[in-house]
Amino acid sequence: MRKIFSSRTVVTIIIAVIVIVGLIAGSNWWAKRTNTPPFIQRFGNDLAGGVSRVIAMPTNAVGRTANSIGNLLDTFSENRDLKSKIDEYAQNKVRLQTIEEENASLKKQLKLQATLTDYKTVSAVTISRSPTTWQSQLVINKGLNSGLKKGMPVLAGAGIIGRISEVNTTNAKVALISDTSEEANRFAITIKGDDGDVNGIVTNFNREKNQLIMGQVTSDNKIKKGDLVKTSGLGGIIPAGIFVGTVTSVTKDDYGLSKQINIEPAADLGNITTVVVAVSEIGAQ
Amino acid sequence: MAFWQLTRLRVVYPIVLLFLLFVDGSLMSGMGGIFTAFPWHILPVLTLGWLFYAVQFDAETDMPFWLYVILIGVLFDMYYTGIFGTYTLAFVSSVAVMMQLHKVLDERLLSGLFMFLVGLIVYLLVTYVAGFITGVSSVGLTAFMLFEVMPTVILNVMIAAVGYYPVWSLFQFLR
Repeated sequence: MRKIFSSRTVVTIIIAVIVIVGLIAGSNWWAKRTNTPPFIQRFGNDLAGGVSRVIAMPTNAVGRTANSIGNLLDTFSENRDLKSKIDEYAQNKVRLQTIEEENASLKKQLKLQATLTDYKTVSAVTISRSPTTWQSQLVINKGLNSGLKKGMPVLAGAGIIGRISEVNTTNAKVALISDTSEEANRFAITIKGDDGDVNGIVTNFNREKNQLIMGQVTSDNKIKKGDLVKTSGLGGIIPAGIFVGTVTSVTKDDYGLSKQINIEPAADLGNITTVVVAVSEIGAQ
Repeated sequence: MAFWQLTRLRVVYPIVLLFLLFVDGSLMSGMGGIFTAFPWHILPVLTLGWLFYAVQFDAETDMPFWLYVILIGVLFDMYYTGIFGTYTLAFVSSVAVMMQLHKVLDERLLSGLFMFLVGLIVYLLVTYVAGFITGVSSVGLTAFMLFEVMPTVILNVMIAAVGYYPVWSLFQFLR
């Protein structure tokens, strides 16, 4: 019988597979351990980021035009809905300002420094997005120079979209919450139920349903569809009170022992042109 | 080096390859709303398309082709994922499969596009398997084939078909 591969080819393929699997697993492990990549990688990424910024200008313009046309088609119904909400919004804004002032003065009286809800923001522009199967990451135009650190939460539009996963000198990568890796979406959240809060962490993302999953919930507090989910601030790096999404359903886990809460993210993970990085004042100290 | 030598394929080819690597990312960012509209996950893979043209038009004899394939894979890994190996392997295995098919198939447009289709599927499957190694995979094979492989293949094969004759002419001019 004629051999398809020679013995030498088979040995080469086996060695190559072992090396590549080792390289993938090793660099994944290393990326999780370190805050910033090694100098050469950082230098290369900064250089690539510069080129990418130039190339992003026309393609982003085309993308923006396509999105604008899409938005135009929804304008009429959207305008009607927004009009009904705007009075409520103005009232809430005034109330928020009053409460913020009251909060600041009470903190002063108690001689409290920064708390979990205090954070500064750094605005950034998306210059690229990884065209990859997994780990869809954004590249933003702010990095170490602007005080960004690995793990900081990134917001866009209505709520949180992800966390900083790698910081270079002039740019940084953002791992989106739709990513299932641990550094992307394992953050502490809280849900305001009717009988009290339910605390926990995001344990997974279901890409087939586009939902965040808060697993292993043993609390008896009632949670229903439509309840709001926000960050709890536990853990220190992510400030409290950042909107995450709304509860879509509550199910039993695979063993029937605890509850699993399915959450629809508030932010649109498709169109992300500008982002805001929340720098916790507690984490920064 | 005289000026006319700068217009040789061995100079122009890697510059375009590098350029397309960033164009892929910019397209994904600029058109993200369309490409990642739930439940779809469509990838622009113009970089692989450019590698396909080199295989189809036998350009690998004019330049250190494999070196370019490996370098673009390493750069892709470094800039887009930060995890080395996945896309280097994906580019190398896809190009290797396309080259083997090129020996068997003829030079016609449809044969070429079929070769690119197989190359694209190999590329996407390698990245799918790599997701299991790093523990980030979250989609079953059926959903992956339906919502990612199928639309990605359709989009990129169409782009490759549109650019086929212009790129062929360009390669003839640069040789």
